[in-house]
Amino acid sequence: MNERDSFLRRLRSGLWGLPRPAIDDIIADYEGHFDAGRAAGRSDADVATALGDPARLARELRAEAGLRRWEDERSLASALGVIVGVIGLAALDLFVILPVLLGLVGSLFAFLVGGVVVALCGGLMLPFALITNLPGFPGDRLQAGLLSLGLLSGGAAVTSVCILITVGLVNLLVRYGRAHYRLIAGGRSSALRD
Amino acid sequence: MDSNLVQFKKGVLELCVLALLARSDSYGYDIASRLSAAIDMGEGTIYPLMRRMQKDGLVSTYLVESSSGPPRKYYRLTEGGRKNLNDQKSAWTDFTRAVAAILDLDLEKTS
Repeated sequence: MNERDSFLRRLRSGLWGLPRPAIDDIIADYEGHFDAGRAAGRSDADVATALGDPARLARELRAEAGLRRWEDERSLASALGVIVGVIGLAALDLFVILPVLLGLVGSLFAFLVGGVVVALCGGLMLPFALITNLPGFPGDRLQAGLLSLGLLSGGAAVTSVCILITVGLVNLLVRYGRAHYRLIAGGRSSALRD
Repeated sequence: MDSNLVQFKKGVLELCVLALLARSDSYGYDIASRLSAAIDMGEGTIYPLMRRMQKDGLVSTYLVESSSGPPRKYYRLTEGGRKNLNDQKSAWTDFTRAVAAILDLDLEKTS
């Protein structure tokens, strides 16, 4: 197996999980690069060295694809894509922010679950409170109804604040990721430097 | 390489690509080899960058049949890319002029 095939194979295996057309498109770019290099009289080994580490390139391409998806559609899946992609970039200072990040995500998740549960409880209690009264509740039906409404809206408020914070956090991660793309991925090549 | 220098170069890479394409349409290998000689970057970096610029609407692509092998993908500057180039260029010129003025001032004092 020559350098060209092994470069392309490592690049392709690093890109798994991206949509098929996107992978083919990326591979075609690099195939074209090898072809042009051959036409210019360079060896495949030389071109491969100058291109840089295919695993590193694949990580960057994947991270960027994840960031793009988040910018196109705000969803839980695309937010996860950003987080996984940025961690995949494995910048060194990530180890410094990772504990903070995990703590933040953990407490956000706890508040989110709490908010949803409280809102659900309120929502479930409301019809009972209006029709009969809550079993074992000392006040009258109006008080029971207001209590349920309070729980419902309080829970909803906590939930939506959590979602807002999550969106902000992921946007920050996007900027962090973009700042960490590496420019100098290539090995030293002789042929192009004269 | 000094990490400050890496950040500098990363910042101007996109500007350089825009400037190259403003002169004439070009393909990936050509852009990569001209830039890697000038600013010492890994050639592979050009493709993630071109992809990003294409999605940002700064460049568009078209295929040209080549005599040897499969058709070649050419990049062309879009209207938005041209405007972006002019903005970045004037920002760069102002900035470098200001920095150069300060550096020269330093030089005069010490000499």
